[in-house]
Amino acid sequence: MTTRIGGGGEGEARQERPGTMTRRSLVRSGLGALVAAPWAGKLGAAGAHSYPGRRGHAAATVQDDEIVLGVSAAFSGPSRGLGTELYRGSMAYFNHVNENGGVNGRRIVMKLLDDGYQPDPCVANTIELIQDESVFLLFNYVGTPTVTRALPVLKKFRDQQVYLFFPFTGAEPQREPPYGEFAFNLRASYRQETAGLVDNFLSIGRRRVAVFYQNDAYGRSGWAGVREALARHGETMAGEATYMRGTQFGASMRGQVEILQARSPDAVICIGAYQACAAFARDAEDLGLHIPVANVSFVGSENLLALMREGRADADAHTRFLVNSQVVPSYEDTSLPAVREYHELMARYDPPPPDNVERITPGEPYETFPQSFVSLEGFVNAKLITEIIRRMGDNPQRSGIEEAVFAVRDYDLGVGERVRYGPDRRQGLQMIYYTVPEGERFVPLEDWGGRFPIS
Amino acid sequence: MTAMIQKGEEVLRVRKLFRKTRFGFFALFGIVVLSISILSISTVSRELRDEYVSNSESIAKNIADSSVDILLNRNLATLQSLIDQFVQIESIRYIYITSDTGEFLAHTFIPGIPEEILASDPSATEAVERSLPGLGDFVEVGSPILSGVAGTVHVGMDLELLGLKIQRAVGQQIYLLCIILVTGVLASIWLVNLASRPLTELLEYVVTLAREKESDGSTHGDVLVRDDEIGDMARMMQYVADDLAFAKDEGTGPGGGD
Repeated sequence: MTTRIGGGGEGEARQERPGTMTRRSLVRSGLGALVAAPWAGKLGAAGAHSYPGRRGHAAATVQDDEIVLGVSAAFSGPSRGLGTELYRGSMAYFNHVNENGGVNGRRIVMKLLDDGYQPDPCVANTIELIQDESVFLLFNYVGTPTVTRALPVLKKFRDQQVYLFFPFTGAEPQREPPYGEFAFNLRASYRQETAGLVDNFLSIGRRRVAVFYQNDAYGRSGWAGVREALARHGETMAGEATYMRGTQFGASMRGQVEILQARSPDAVICIGAYQACAAFARDAEDLGLHIPVANVSFVGSENLLALMREGRADADAHTRFLVNSQVVPSYEDTSLPAVREYHELMARYDPPPPDNVERITPGEPYETFPQSFVSLEGFVNAKLITEIIRRMGDNPQRSGIEEAVFAVRDYDLGVGERVRYGPDRRQGLQMIYYTVPEGERFVPLEDWGGRFPIS
Repeated sequence: MTAMIQKGEEVLRVRKLFRKTRFGFFALFGIVVLSISILSISTVSRELRDEYVSNSESIAKNIADSSVDILLNRNLATLQSLIDQFVQIESIRYIYITSDTGEFLAHTFIPGIPEEILASDPSATEAVERSLPGLGDFVEVGSPILSGVAGTVHVGMDLELLGLKIQRAVGQQIYLLCIILVTGVLASIWLVNLASRPLTELLEYVVTLAREKESDGSTHGDVLVRDDEIGDMARMMQYVADDLAFAKDEGTGPGGGD
């Protein structure tokens, strides 16, 4: 299901009918092609040091007054909170940039398409964004099963030098050959997240670690991370249970809990989306599986917590065993410049969910969060892509993207960790943060042993 | 009165004869339909099952061939993505990939790997039938990855679906045969009736002729004007009857004097 909408919110929307091309855009495209042709060859050759064989071929994306970023993400379905919050965080920053004259005189616009966190629509959207919309780059994709399937499309269109920036997934396929050359990641990987969780559990004596995961590429990626981390300590997985992608909070996870209970684990690491993981944590608590239940960053912590607390008088007790890993610092940590800026811009713009997305599953209301880890990630994604585009000068071309990214070395994004890219380093940040619920928010976890003592 | 009873008995005898013929036709058609049905069920079942297993083996081999680089690169997310695409094929119910050491590297089971699968030989490649509680009955085939040194792909095909396919295929054939049976029986009844009616008329004529000889009543002419064998026989009988009557009148016939 391909959908198309404008960027939404604060005048950044771009709303063209599918396949339409105005006279102005035709002139722009033609002029752009003439201007870009000599540049393309030069920059393509300059960027060939890491992945030879690329040819400059991206002139159609040059626009006088705007740069269009193509987004295919979940704006409907059980994971709509992720796509929506990621979008809101990015919009807060882009609104700020655009209000202040844009990047080298060009506004940054997002072209949003809904894939509902389903692979096939994501593939169709990606083709549409590249072929029909001629977006400058792809940005803020959500999910492993979607991104994993979109990567071959980028390879197919490799001559057009379309890159995927900062997908909201920590899986390996966009970090490794044969597709790693088509993506740039900002967040740490699931391998790093799961390794951190395993290390911490083992450090407090919880050696029997089980995995509850979404039975697809995302879940398998996290499962593999846990397996590898345990193997480094000479341990094996205590047990595993799976669920189907798209499972809602109302579904019973009794079967999964019973499978894991039979293996007597000391901790469970969940690799899933917030609805299913909340359902699992709820049923685990209700069925007496009182052990730490960890989630990785993709889960969408605030969405998960809101579901688990909804309508429960014992909400704090019900969520006491949760621990979530994050790939951005706590949005409570206002000592960090980026977090302060995030608070300020989210409060100023409070971007609404994109209201004119043609959604795969219509009619689903969504309540936004003032702050969240996902929107903070969207915010820092937008901050860095803006910096990269700024570094490309007055006439940004796709053929110059790779070189511009590799020029980011020890860049201070304001999150307490410097960003660095290079031909052999296509992931900007490495830090993992651990958080636990405190009331309606997640706060940093300082003392693992004190929080999860072995009885 | 005696003649009437005799006539009735004769007609009944002729009808019984044709009823037997009709029953014979029906029985013959029934046997043909039953034999073809049994042969069809047996053939279709065997061929569909063979095709099913053959397809499973092809799919398993396809996955095995596609998995080599992915496995060697330890890219299990892509491996999972690969089998997720194959499991969308209608008849495939599950796929799992085991390493050379028997570890389950990727699978499609929800909520977990069944105990029967965990307990089975992870490197087995021959087709086996499995009954998994809560899931159903399956035929499972395996294919080695890199001659088995990188692992094994296992593909489970739904036997219930196979059963439905067999039922559908056989059902269509039996439906066609039943139509042929009913049409054949109806046609045979019509044909037998077609043949029996003139014979009955002939018989009635002969009886009437005999009765006329007793009562000297009117003749029965319908059957005499027929231009087929029955008409020929009726005319011949009339000729013989007339000849006999003439001979009797002349006293030269069998019924006459010396």
